[in-house]
Amino acid sequence: MITWFKLATRNLFRNGRRSLFTVMAIGLGFAAVNALGGFTAYIFTSLEDSYIHIQGNGHMSIFKKGFLNEGKLDPTRYLLNEEDVRVIDEVLQAHPEIRISTPELNISGLVSNGEVSTIFLASGRVSSKVDVIRSRSRTKVGNMQLFDGEPMSDETPNGLGMSQGLADQLRFKQGDTVVVMAPTVNGQINALDGQMLQTFNSPVEALEDKLMLVSLEFAQNLYDTTSVDRINVLLNDGLLTESMRATLQSELVARGLDIEIKTWNELSTFYTKVKNMFDVIFLFAFLIVFTIVVMSVVNTVGMAIMERTREIGTLRALGVKRRGIVGLFALESMLLGLFGSLVGVLLTLAVWSSIATLEPTWIPPQITRRIPLEVYLVPQEMLWSMLALLVLSLLAASLPARKAARMEIVGALGHV
Amino acid sequence: MNTITSIGTAPLVELRRVTRHYQIGENPVIALKGIDITIQAREFVAIWGPSGSGKSTLCNLIGMLDSPTSGTVLINGQEVNDLSDNARSELRNRTIGFVFQNFNLVPVLSALENVMLPLQIAGASSTVARERALERLTEVGLEKHVAHRPAKLSGGQQQRVAIARALVTDPALVIADEPTANLDSGNARRIIELMLNINASHGTAFVFSTHDQRLLESVKRRVLMQDGEIGSDSHPTRPAVQTRIAGGRP
Repeated sequence: MITWFKLATRNLFRNGRRSLFTVMAIGLGFAAVNALGGFTAYIFTSLEDSYIHIQGNGHMSIFKKGFLNEGKLDPTRYLLNEEDVRVIDEVLQAHPEIRISTPELNISGLVSNGEVSTIFLASGRVSSKVDVIRSRSRTKVGNMQLFDGEPMSDETPNGLGMSQGLADQLRFKQGDTVVVMAPTVNGQINALDGQMLQTFNSPVEALEDKLMLVSLEFAQNLYDTTSVDRINVLLNDGLLTESMRATLQSELVARGLDIEIKTWNELSTFYTKVKNMFDVIFLFAFLIVFTIVVMSVVNTVGMAIMERTREIGTLRALGVKRRGIVGLFALESMLLGLFGSLVGVLLTLAVWSSIATLEPTWIPPQITRRIPLEVYLVPQEMLWSMLALLVLSLLAASLPARKAARMEIVGALGHV
Repeated sequence: MNTITSIGTAPLVELRRVTRHYQIGENPVIALKGIDITIQAREFVAIWGPSGSGKSTLCNLIGMLDSPTSGTVLINGQEVNDLSDNARSELRNRTIGFVFQNFNLVPVLSALENVMLPLQIAGASSTVARERALERLTEVGLEKHVAHRPAKLSGGQQQRVAIARALVTDPALVIADEPTANLDSGNARRIIELMLNINASHGTAFVFSTHDQRLLESVKRRVLMQDGEIGSDSHPTRPAVQTRIAGGRP
C-alpha cells in the first residue's frame, strides 16, 4: 500500500504545474463553498439570534388556541386572562430548562401629536424581562445599541419607543408627550399619555411609520384589560425547543388550558424565507464547484493516462490487475482532492482571519444600521466538504481510470 | 520465490496452431498463421526475423500479454486462453519476467523501487521485496545505483535494472522484446552475457525477439519467423521431454 501511495504521490509531481492548477481549482472551490457556508451560518445565526434574543421573542410563544389564525380579526376573544397566565407561570416555573418567560400584549390604535393622528402597532412588554432575553444574545449585534434615546424601563411605565419613520412623521422627539388612543376590549375609546423615550428602526420597512414599543402595563391600561396575547419563553438551550414545546403543550393542556405553542422558526417567516434562499444559493455554488472539480480532475487524470499509457501497459505486464490500475489513478485523484481540500482549508482560514481582523461592516436587508460582517468557521461543514471533494475526485477519475485499465496491454506497451 | 510448482511432463510453453489476426482500419492483418512451438524450462531461445514477421506477436502471446485469435497457448501445461484477466495477471506476475526494448522503467521510482515492484504487486512485504531487489541489482552490477532514478542511468544500466526487475520474482521464463535494440555494442554485449549467465546459473528460460546478430551467435536455439510462420527452428524441442520444475533456480 505504501508503494502505491508513494507511486501515486510522485506521479502527481510529474506534471507539477498541471497538478498545481487542479489542486488550486479544488482549493478555491473548497474555499468558495466554505466561505459562503460560513457567511450563510452567520446570516442564519444572526437571524435566529435577532428574532429570539434581540427582538426579545424567546424560543417559543404560548397563545390561546386560534389566536394566530382568528385573533387578528378579534384579538380580544383570544387573550390569555390572569388565571391562564397564572397557570402557565406555574407550569413554566417547574421546568429548570426555562431561563425566563415574559407576557406580551400587542395593541394597535391611533397616535397623535395633537394636530395629526396616524395608526400604530405596538408591543407591550415587561422591559426588565426583555432585557434578560437580550442579554443572552451570542452575536456582536446583540451587544450593539439598536435605538437612539433612553432604554425602556419598568420604572417608566408610560415610556414608549417609536420607529424612526413614525417619529419623523409626527415630528416627535425624545421627551415629548405622545397621545395614544385605542378601543378597549369592551369597545370604548381610551386615550393615554406616553413619554417618548427612544426611536428605533423597524425590522420591516413597511412598518417603519407604524411601530411602537410600550410597557405591558401601558398596553393593558390602554386596552383596559389584565390579559395578554402571548407568553414568550426563553430556554437555556435552544436545542431543547422542540422537546420542550411538546412537554409544555401536554402539561398545559392537562391543566385545562386551550393553548397552542409556536416555536421561533415557525413564527419568524423571514428566517425561513432567507434560509430557503441561501440554501438555493449554496446549492448553485456547490454545483459550480462540483463542475470545476470534476472537469479539473477528469482533465488531469485523462492527460496523465494519455501520457503514461506505456507505463500502464508495463504495470499490467508485470502483473498489476485492472483494478490495480483503477486504484492507482483513484488514489492519485483522491490525493488531488486531499491536497486541494487542504489548500482550501488554508484559504478559508485566510478569508476568515482577514474578515475577523479587518472587521468590515455592512447594512443587511431589514436593518438600517451598519453591523459587523462576519464569516463563521464551521469545522463540520469543512469536514463534509473535504469528504465530498474526495468522493467527487474519486468519481471523476473512475471513468478515465476504468478506461485505462481496460486498454489492451500490447497496445498500451506500443503507445508512443 | 517458487514460480512454477507443478510437476510433470508439460513443457514450459506450448503453442498449438496459434493464429493472431488484427484489424488495422479496414485492412485485416494476419500476424501469425498457425504456429506450433514448444519451449522447455531453462531454454535460451531467440526469435528472429524481419520486421513484421510476427516476432513480437509471438512473444506477446507467450507472455500472456495478448490472446490468440485461434489455437491454444499452454504455460506449464495450463491452457491460458480462457483464463480471466485477473488469473492471467497473477500467472504473469508469478511465472514470467519481461524485458522491453525501451526498458519501460517507472520514471518516478528509483532503480531499487523499480525492481521491488513485481514483488510488491505479488503482495510481498517491503522488507522482503527490498532484500530480494538488492540481491538482483547486485547480480546485475548495479548495487551502487540503487537510489538512482531511471533518468540518471545510462541505457545499459536501465536495461540491467529491467533485467533485475524481470528476475526478482524468480520466474521460470523471461521474455525480452529486442533487449539490445537501443544499446550500443558494448552494453549490448554485457546484456547478452548477463542473460546467458542468468540462464546458466539460475536455469531461467529466456525467449527474446531480436535482430541482433551478436545475440544470435550466442544462442543455441534460433527460431526464424517469416510472414507469420516459423521459417526454421534450429533446435526444436518436443513436448514429450520430461520436465520437472520445482522453482526458478536449478
